[in-house]
Amino acid sequence: MNRVTLRKTLISCALLGAVLLLVIISMSLLGSERLPARTSLCALASLGTSACGLTQDQFDILFQIRLPRILLAAAVGGSLATAGAGYQALLRNPLAEPYLLGISNGAAVGTMISLVFFGAIEWTRPLLAFTGAFVATFAVYRLARGRAGATPERLILAGVIVTTFLSSVIVFVTTLMDATRIRSFTFWLLGDLSGASKTLLPVAITITIIGALVLTLHARSLNLLMLGERDAFDLGVEVGRVRMVVFLVASLLVGSSVAASGSVGYVGLVVPHLARLSLGSDNRISIPAAALGGALFVIVADTVARTIIAPRELPVGAITALIGAPLFIYLLKRV
Amino acid sequence: MCVLCLFVATCALVSRRALIILSLLLLAISFGCNSGAKPALDGPVTRELTDDAGRRVSLPARVTRVVSLAPNLTEIVFAVGGGDRLVGRTSYCDYPAEAKAVAEIGDTLHPSLERIIALKPQVVLISTSSQLEVFTQQLQNQNIAVFVTDPHDLQGVFRSIAQVGEIMGEKLRTALLVESLRDRADDVETAVKGKQPVRVFYQVSAEPLYTAGHDAFVTDLMRRAGAASVTANVPGAWPKYSNESALAARPDAIILPTGGSMGSANSDVTEALRQSPAALQGRVYKINDDYLTRPGPRAIDGLEAMARALHPDAFK
Repeated sequence: MNRVTLRKTLISCALLGAVLLLVIISMSLLGSERLPARTSLCALASLGTSACGLTQDQFDILFQIRLPRILLAAAVGGSLATAGAGYQALLRNPLAEPYLLGISNGAAVGTMISLVFFGAIEWTRPLLAFTGAFVATFAVYRLARGRAGATPERLILAGVIVTTFLSSVIVFVTTLMDATRIRSFTFWLLGDLSGASKTLLPVAITITIIGALVLTLHARSLNLLMLGERDAFDLGVEVGRVRMVVFLVASLLVGSSVAASGSVGYVGLVVPHLARLSLGSDNRISIPAAALGGALFVIVADTVARTIIAPRELPVGAITALIGAPLFIYLLKRV
Repeated sequence: MCVLCLFVATCALVSRRALIILSLLLLAISFGCNSGAKPALDGPVTRELTDDAGRRVSLPARVTRVVSLAPNLTEIVFAVGGGDRLVGRTSYCDYPAEAKAVAEIGDTLHPSLERIIALKPQVVLISTSSQLEVFTQQLQNQNIAVFVTDPHDLQGVFRSIAQVGEIMGEKLRTALLVESLRDRADDVETAVKGKQPVRVFYQVSAEPLYTAGHDAFVTDLMRRAGAASVTANVPGAWPKYSNESALAARPDAIILPTGGSMGSANSDVTEALRQSPAALQGRVYKINDDYLTRPGPRAIDGLEAMARALHPDAFK
């Protein structure tokens, strides 16, 4: 990485990181229950070591419920946006996105199978979600490769086919479940961050950070791949290996976020595009920027979801889709 | 008939023995005639009842074939003595045990229209207004009446029972049933009268957290059982609820509907409420979910179970 790019990357990441920290702090002051701002900030600054005059309940709300949920939103947003940026670069398609390609649905099927058959064993959830995402990724990739290569239209069509097929599988699995659980599943399918599980949260955060780092380290190869697989190969890129790395990492990212929160749509579409629009299409900058921006986007969307009709809640996926779908249409018209 | 009577009378004059034989014959014929004549007389006669959706529903005078699309309605049909005329039920309808012998028509949300029509019911009882329009239209095209019940409180449950009783033509039995249920409900309310209402959180499911809101009939049931539901004023019947608001509400008791159709699901308190006064004092009560989620006769069992759990000293 030359010095100019490195500097630009570091500056934009530092800036986005600062904004992210600011948003995490300010959004943790918002919720269905009002917490005193000053004492909450004091408690947050002490990283939970001092209650600063918060009551036990207020302290628990802040540190047991709200903050884990915000961190989960950050991990989910970061994962999906990074995966989206990775797919878009690798497949040379601005519309490639985990949700639209059916990869989220693959992960959802995996999670549901884990819930129905191994309900008590929590670690099977991300594992099966990852498997589902990986299988769906390969299915889409194989379907999209025609004789003329993977055209954008063909890829989206393949995504539609895989999505609808997996949706039917989901419907089939829900009919196997008893009535009382179906409603919570439909909510979960639209993306729900309220179940910030203590075991899955650290897993999701770790995977997000590692995934974003690995993809950023492959950003140069991805830049060359955007010229076309042949040209990239001629320029010394191990195309097959890079493709496998991106597929594995992206499936891992999508799998862990879906296992923790269901399918939050459009994050992988909106955020990488905004990153490229504002910072240019160099993946060395846009991938880490997308990771941080995705975290920002989902934190804000989830804050809206949990406060707008408080004390009731909306699924966060409804909010991201509300913003994402119009943007998708806009991008589709530009392609 | 009259011709026949004259004939018999003439014959009777002829011989005594013929009289006996012929009068027996007449009896048989008149019975036959009667049973044959009845539908012809009653068939076109209809009644009109207003259902909970405010629709005027035309019903045949005597209902002999009915389909129920909800477990609470199946329970009501059996309780008012119409179980032998129930020809279809959902896969959720598992009570009373006799109900399981009745043909299944799918579940409440996805009933099989074909199977319902094939069962030739006169009335279909439904408890949900979802998919109502298309569904009702198709059934009405087949000359099948659709009756909607939608109780939001205990009075509504009594009304549903009375309506179904009237549909089934079991007015007397229904009146007695409703009276005895009302007496039991009154006994509970008398027992808990003057007691400080217990602040209760009703947990429908833990993850994600769902509760009973303003429109759920169980909210009214809790009030009558001497409970003050902390979510009684949340709009809707079964809202998804904020974890933080649940924690901040600091309920003194938690009700977990579980153990019936739910099986072992929902038998743990949600994480946000593990440190609540209710959980710390061990005031977490598991009550058969079928009593609390089915607005039928067994709702009174739910009322009694909740009142006894929350105010044990009132029932000594």
